[in-house]
Amino acid sequence: MLAGLAGEAGPYRRLLDELSGLLRAYYSRRCPPGLDVEDLVQETLIAVHTRRATYDTGQPFTAWAYAIARYKLIDALRRGRAHLRAPAEEADALFAPDGLRGSAGAAMAARDLERVMAGLNPRTRSLIRDVKIAGLSTREAAEKHGMTETAVKVAVHRGLKSLGETYGGSNLDED
Amino acid sequence: MRTDELIASLAADAPRVAPGAVARRVALGVGLGAVGSAAVMLAWLGPRPDLAQAVATPMFWMKFAYAAATGLIAAVLLARLARPAARAGVAAAALAAPFAVVAAMAVARLAQAPPEAHRDLLMGHSSMICPWRILVIGLPVLAGAVWALRGLAPTRLLPAGLAAGVCAGGIGAAVYAVACNETSAPFLAIWYTLGMAIVTAVGALAGSRLLRWR
Repeated sequence: MLAGLAGEAGPYRRLLDELSGLLRAYYSRRCPPGLDVEDLVQETLIAVHTRRATYDTGQPFTAWAYAIARYKLIDALRRGRAHLRAPAEEADALFAPDGLRGSAGAAMAARDLERVMAGLNPRTRSLIRDVKIAGLSTREAAEKHGMTETAVKVAVHRGLKSLGETYGGSNLDED
Repeated sequence: MRTDELIASLAADAPRVAPGAVARRVALGVGLGAVGSAAVMLAWLGPRPDLAQAVATPMFWMKFAYAAATGLIAAVLLARLARPAARAGVAAAALAAPFAVVAAMAVARLAQAPPEAHRDLLMGHSSMICPWRILVIGLPVLAGAVWALRGLAPTRLLPAGLAAGVCAGGIGAAVYAVACNETSAPFLAIWYTLGMAIVTAVGALAGSRLLRWR
């Protein structure tokens, strides 16, 4: 974590990798049916990353990370329920190239995509369009919207997740 | 997005974090809130007309010091509770110290006064409005403290909300002390404390809702 705070990508990535394993074990034991373990792992990794400034270097790292994991579990239970069931990777299917091009229903799919995206807030919509459809890199999108790269990633991730929640997994798989 | 992709993208974007970021954010939120409180006090009540003479009296500074010490200790507590897995520690116990001093002064003052003076010492002339003024003047600090906490990571929201409330009450009362012309320690011990307690209650209520972060 010290490396992460110092901006060293390699060791920081290994830390997040190891942490994701610990979190998966943590949530597997505690997560009630209806909540998605992988989703909580991802939420917690994002929180660990975006709020890493709150890690006090004098304290044990695992105590800090588990406190966030516990908070995320309570938060998920409080907001509760089914809408956490649809992980973001299902929504990713919407943007898979062969879902849009090559098939006879491409035009229809594009129109449906606009329709489902109308439910997102304008900035998230435009970010998803830039990153997932126009194919901008996160860095380019970040510059275009005047945001940090992390903010772009988190916004896209959450936008996809909320699409997944609204248009549950099975519909998306049909494309 | 798969978890390993998420990890790769997070790790690829991890600029150095400057040490002291938590303390800076709390200081900024509470500091800007205090400026807001002073603006509310000046626009609404104005400083007491005899401020120039009052600053030469110990009672003026006693009021100010009681409230400011409470607010600043709570700000330290707030910065601790803004971190996951942090313990409140000595800062929570230290909050009792300013009150203990003022309560002892109040008892001493009452003990040496004739019984017929007790009512004035206890009630002053503004006891019914003082706590509410402290509440209104403290709200900008509460807003600043909540803003600071929302950008950090409090994992126990009720204690964090309580600390934000005590901080806002203390700093709000310190600002109000510039406008208030009460001069008795018993008044201070009861009504200033009640005002701070009201802001604390608001902070605790607001805390569990407003402090939730994702």
